[in-house]
Amino acid sequence: METLARLVTSSIGRKLLVAAVGFLLCGFLMTHLAGNMFLFVGEKAFNTYARVLESNPFLLPIELALLGVILLHAVVALYLNLTSLAARPVGYAMKRSRGGRTWGSATMVYTAVLIGVFLVIHVKTFKYGVRPSPEDLYGLVMSYLQDWRWALFYAVVMAGLGLHLSHGAWSATQTFGIDHPKYTPLIKGAGLAFAVVVAAVFTAIPIWACWFLGGAR
Amino acid sequence: MKVTLRVWRQTGPDGPGRLVSYEAEVPSTDMSFLELLDTVNEGLIAKGEDAIAFDHDCREGICGMCSQVIDGQPHGPDKAAATCQLHMRRFKDGDVITAEPFRAKAFPVVKDLVVDRSALDRVMTCGGFVSVNTGAAVDANAVLVPKDDAEKAMDAAACIGCGACVAACPNAAAMLFVGAKVSQFALLPQGAPERVRRVLSMRKAMDKEGFGHCSNEAECEAVCPKEVKISNIARLNREFIRALAVSDG
Ligand code: HEM
Ligand code: SF4
Ligand code: FES
Repeated sequence: METLARLVTSSIGRKLLVAAVGFLLCGFLMTHLAGNMFLFVGEKAFNTYARVLESNPFLLPIELALLGVILLHAVVALYLNLTSLAARPVGYAMKRSRGGRTWGSATMVYTAVLIGVFLVIHVKTFKYGVRPSPEDLYGLVMSYLQDWRWALFYAVVMAGLGLHLSHGAWSATQTFGIDHPKYTPLIKGAGLAFAVVVAAVFTAIPIWACWFLGGAR
Repeated sequence: MKVTLRVWRQTGPDGPGRLVSYEAEVPSTDMSFLELLDTVNEGLIAKGEDAIAFDHDCREGICGMCSQVIDGQPHGPDKAAATCQLHMRRFKDGDVITAEPFRAKAFPVVKDLVVDRSALDRVMTCGGFVSVNTGAAVDANAVLVPKDDAEKAMDAAACIGCGACVAACPNAAAMLFVGAKVSQFALLPQGAPERVRRVLSMRKAMDKEGFGHCSNEAECEAVCPKEVKISNIARLNREFIRALAVSDG
């Protein structure tokens, strides 16, 4: 019991929670990305994939778990950020980075809020949106992504997601205490590569939908 | 050469503070920044004004007393150097130099550039030591320490407790300091008996003092005058996880 209390009441323990849940979300991103690849294959393949996914009896519990995990990640991380704001009530008149921070690490809160807002809109439009016909999720997705404004919104959010992951992936390993003179640079590189690949492939979907299929409406 | 100093002046802990400009003649570029402040203070005292209060002691980079955020960087622009090791040759004629106190809730301003860093001492009293029986000195080779571990422990022990890591951290976290202090014992057999208790209670004290959380920004490592590495933060995290796993509490 005390171990659990230490985990949830200490700054390090809370970071561990954020990091652990962050890893889970990376796993979700990979499966989501893989599933979305069916969009490239075509209408039939994607709609079949959607039907198989939606007929899975475990989908609801998995979705609820996912919601819980996302909320845990967001709430604990935002709470930690608030405590850190309180840890420096009077700021500097002049502050210069010494090169420790990266674009990704310096913008974590902003990219987090961007992703959060995106998630609400995204789930509302794609999961609870009105499909052209009940079996046609492909049609619904395309009706949005072939609009250049939506495609642009997706591209911007995916860049934000990439930034978030560029720091988050490595940071989580450091929080778990994974550190080695030889392998830490490799882990950092792998984290960055993961961020770039995830962001790039997710961005490829709206670009492809908009410019190659939709003729840029 | 002439420079303009913009110095944070604050009458007391609760007093209002503001940046005040002073034109300063620099007699020699070989003088240190603190010596320039001494010169400015002599002028202020001669005019019957209140001298600028700032912390310092050894003035050779070993005591950790000097603080100050100079031009937006704790201990100024030089790598691996404390404020007292910053020299005027680093600046050009006409430069405007801004000096502020370390900023953190856990480091309340005492006066001007002086902050109270006893929060770090209180964290130390919660486990930053080894308990030993007094008596005859132990034979030097009775407890064997692998060379690599000894080196890492020494690198961690180089921390002079200045608090620049806190000042530089966007979250005002003290993880580099605590990481160094936990590491220097975690790596050595002498630290083993109190290993679990140490990390748990130092962590608790650190949070209690109101420091922020670590978001692995690595700004601390970049400003540390003793080049203490964030590997020590990873080790602190490992020690904490280990303590959670093995403590009976
Ligand atoms: C171009 C990129 C993306 C496309 C085309 C896309 C497409 C979709 C679609 C079609 C659904 C609805 C699935 C269904 O109702 O069966 C969905 C759900 C979802 N997406 Fe995305 N997505 C993209 C990017 C992302 C990103 C980057 C994230 C996370 C940061 C994300 C998080 C989610 C979540 C949490 C759900 C709800 C899952 C559920 O309730 O089953 N998506 N996405
Ligand atoms: S870790 Fe470095 S910056 Fe932090 S207190 Fe020790 S010497 Fe100062
Ligand atoms: S005065 Fe001692 S380290 Fe600077």
